Order: sequence, then structure tokens, then C-alpha cells
Amino acid sequence: MNNRLKVLRAERDWSQAHLATELGVSRQTVNALETGRYDPSLPLAFKIARLFQMPIESIFSDED
Amino acid sequence: MAGKRKLILQSAVALVLFLAAIFVTGGVIGYLSASDADVLASPVALTVICVFAGFSMLIAMWISLKWMRSIDEAAQEAHKWAWFWGGSSGMAVGGVFVILASLPQAATINIPAWYSERSDPAAYAATGAFAMLTLMLIGYGVAWAWWWLGRR
Repeated sequence: MNNRLKVLRAERDWSQAHLATELGVSRQTVNALETGRYDPSLPLAFKIARLFQMPIESIFSDED
Repeated sequence: MAGKRKLILQSAVALVLFLAAIFVTGGVIGYLSASDADVLASPVALTVICVFAGFSMLIAMWISLKWMRSIDEAAQEAHKWAWFWGGSSGMAVGGVFVILASLPQAATINIPAWYSERSDPAAYAATGAFAMLTLMLIGYGVAWAWWWLGRR
């Protein structure tokens, strides 16, 4: 699964550590999410969507 | 941050409970051994040690539960993945030795028992259990590191 987390974070000038704190996860988890090597659970995906105030499908995509 | 502080406090409580259990068990066994040199063979000692072992494992399970709930979902996934793949792989290695132990040649191998100076079935059962546990933990550690290294 692909995502735009890194772009969205960069647009807000947030560090991985800051995003991790906002989401209540570790920085390593944010890194794994951004590199697309870990797919979040639905609750975490919703939390991310709420944080960026965007629909889930505009952040995550199942297309290559 | 509050979650971490809570976990540290709970860990401290678990440690105090465990130390108290050691103290009480040691005290009871020490008191009994003053009148009976072979106290560890008595039913009373068996009961005390059973209670201690059960209580210790309950504390360990309780703090493990609290800790597992305190880490985030990716960290939990890493542990679940490591438990299945690493633990299973370690068990598979141990399984080879279990099969090999059925061969007649294995009867001639001198294996040290977990409890020194003992060569009874229970001591060797404990040796086998600890050997399997060690292999599973090695597999667990390798698989856990593998999971995180692949997601750096």
C-alpha cells in the first residue's frame, strides 16, 4: 500500500518525532509507515486522516 | 508520556511484589529448615515453592500484559511476527534434536542436567524445556530484529 504521509508531513514542516507524538506511536513506526513497509490498522489510519484533516483514500492508496 | 510513567510504576510494583515473594518464600523455607535438614523434600516446601512459582509467573504475565498494551501497534506486530516465525523456527530446530534423541546412539551421549548433580527424569525434562526455550528465544530475537531492520 502506498501513502502520502512523508509529503503531508513535509508540507507542514513536521519532524517524524513530532508526527509520532501526535499519533501516539514511536518514531520508528512513523518511519515504517512512510516507507510503505508497514500498513497501519484502521484505527491508526483514521487517526492519521483526522490529524491531516483529509479523507483516508487521499492519504492511502492500494495502487502501485 | 503518562503511559510510560504508568508502566514504570507498574513495573516497580511488580518488582516489589516479586522481591516480597522471594523474601517470604526464603523466610518460610529457612524457618522450616531449622528443624528439618531435608525440608525441600517435604510436602510443605513443595506447597510453598508451588505458590512462589505460580505467583512469580502471574506477576510476569501481568507486567507483560501491561507492557504489551503500552507499546504501539507496529511494535506489537513485530513481537507477534517474531513470536510466530522466530519462535516456530527455534522450535523446529529443537524438533530436530527431539527426533535425534530417539536414536540409540543418543543414549551414549552424556548431557549435563539443568540442575547440577542430578540425573533423574525431572532434571532432564527441565534441561530439555530450557534448551527448547533458549532456541525459541534466539529465534524470537533474530526474527524481531529482522522485522525492524526490514522497516527502517
